[in-house]
Amino acid sequence: MTTWEGLLFGIGFVTQPEVLIYCVLGVVLGTFVGVLPGIGAMAAISLLLPITYYVTPEAALIMLAGVYYGAQYGGAVASILLRLPGTPQSAVTTLDGYPMAQSGRAGVALFTAMASSFVGSVIGILVLVMLAGWLSRAATAFGAADYAAMMILGLVAASTIGTARPAKGFAMVTLGLLLGCIGTDVNSGAQRFTFGQTELLDGINLVALAMGLFGVAEVIANVRNPDRQSVAERIGLRRLMPRRDDLRRMAFPMLRGSALGSFFGALPGTGSTLSSFLSYSMERRIARQPERFGKGAVEGVAGPESANNSAAITAFAPTLTLGIPGDPIMALMLGALVIHGIQPGPMMLEARPEMFWGLVASFGIGNLLLLILNLPLIGIWVAMLRIPFNYLYPAILVFLCLGVYSVRGLTFDIVAVAGIGLAGYLLAIAKFSPALLLLGFVLGPLIETNLRRAFLISRGDPMVFLERPIAAGFVVATVVLLLLPLWQAWRRRSAHELQ
Amino acid sequence: MQRDWPDILGGLILTAIGVGAALWAALHYDIGTLRRMGPGFFPVVLGAGLFVLGLVIALPALGRACTAPKVEPWTLLAVLAAIVIFALGLSRLGLAGTTAVTVLVATLPAPHKGWVWRVLLAAAITVLTVLVFSIGLRMTLPLWPRLS
Repeated sequence: MTTWEGLLFGIGFVTQPEVLIYCVLGVVLGTFVGVLPGIGAMAAISLLLPITYYVTPEAALIMLAGVYYGAQYGGAVASILLRLPGTPQSAVTTLDGYPMAQSGRAGVALFTAMASSFVGSVIGILVLVMLAGWLSRAATAFGAADYAAMMILGLVAASTIGTARPAKGFAMVTLGLLLGCIGTDVNSGAQRFTFGQTELLDGINLVALAMGLFGVAEVIANVRNPDRQSVAERIGLRRLMPRRDDLRRMAFPMLRGSALGSFFGALPGTGSTLSSFLSYSMERRIARQPERFGKGAVEGVAGPESANNSAAITAFAPTLTLGIPGDPIMALMLGALVIHGIQPGPMMLEARPEMFWGLVASFGIGNLLLLILNLPLIGIWVAMLRIPFNYLYPAILVFLCLGVYSVRGLTFDIVAVAGIGLAGYLLAIAKFSPALLLLGFVLGPLIETNLRRAFLISRGDPMVFLERPIAAGFVVATVVLLLLPLWQAWRRRSAHELQ
Repeated sequence: MQRDWPDILGGLILTAIGVGAALWAALHYDIGTLRRMGPGFFPVVLGAGLFVLGLVIALPALGRACTAPKVEPWTLLAVLAAIVIFALGLSRLGLAGTTAVTVLVATLPAPHKGWVWRVLLAAAITVLTVLVFSIGLRMTLPLWPRLS
């Protein structure tokens, strides 16, 4: 199937009413949770995982993806109007979006965010289509050693890049890998760490883990958080349309942000948060008047917002074509597919074209819907910010319990959610990343299987990771990433001694 | 000086988990060789790694100051209790009963005072839950408490 045939096929698939409704549902729900600070895309996707049992895998993935990129749109709304990043990806948007809103240009800031998100997504889709074809061809050359090396690179990248304390990131990834060992070992059939509990034979339930770590922990953290109480400020939205010089200023940052986001989104372990931060610092560095940044520069909204949206889209390329999720949200998406018995990989493009092309087309249609829906609906999103959290969180808890129960019909899983929620809350306040734990958990069985296979094929010779060019490339990149924090620490120390 | 307790305790707990997992796996599961890894190989390696990482986190934190994070013990307790009550109540109190009780327990730590809104909220969420899960998604669950 050529790209054009594929896209047309995908559009035909998504515009079927029974698929389109899930796309709409996903983007609206995503915007909703994105606007609400404290409940992120991770929590929303975990909450929705059980519902995906009731729909086809294609519709499920389209809906979950809609939540993901819809949340990016919503996150920008809260960032601009309240200086509360609704999602981590939109945290940078507060830097210039909020000052714009304070100087009476909230409407223009929102318009900029929406338009940039849309441009970023469209460019992301183009890159995804090109990359996916190339990656799925390249994937036929991938052996077990290459897969294992790439996943290890992803884990190392996720725990070192953008974190202040890499050791804590590594520890969370390792703990996640260890938790992934629980249950029946696929290679030998041995029961590991089950302690005689039949409920643990299939391992820890992904839905329970995700809901506990994100849903429950976020609820506990926000119940008495003064920032999360209702917002009474009046927000003027008189003028939405930007002036001509605003348009001129935002055009190039959008394109640069999209390029940056498309690149970093496709790399394992970096993700959209990093690319929005990078885009902001790049725009400030190349601006003619850097002093305007932080005081309401349109470029400071346009760049990061297009970067995080294009990254959100291209992040699907390794997930769908290689079956390797680059960030924790992609790990949840992969988990959703595995729940349906689908193992994403190079064969999926051929075997389930409606999955890949349907998803790609749904990105286009979903983003168009977001653009059309959100500008007139901004008033409603703002009104929603006034719902007190008191009324929301008990409902979230009940839905979460029923959701996890519906997966296997075991009350054991609900009790497990309470335990995991406790752990997730403590991890969050001690600043250990629960997202990295989840990434390790999902990748654990994949890494173990590929490592064992690689060593079996090479007869126990570790040189296989250096002899194969693909694996060797990943190993070199991993070593560089590992040495980077050490080098930085050493440089900081020597700079310190010089003073 | 306020010590960096989150990192000290967190690191030590991770170290303990690492040691425990590695020892348990080494004693109970076949480790095998690098060429033919047994089910114990991966857990032992990971446990050892976690042991080292825990120490790397905890030891430097011993001499470091840090502002203590705020823990909300009552919120934590009420939310977790609500979830456990839901789990235990589902088969005994029925969907409607357990939802109402769970909501009432969950709202205990809410900063908004008074009980009228709590009862109204419990009623509203119960109706919504029954509509969505029992009637909409057709989950087979008892609705009302079993009287026997």
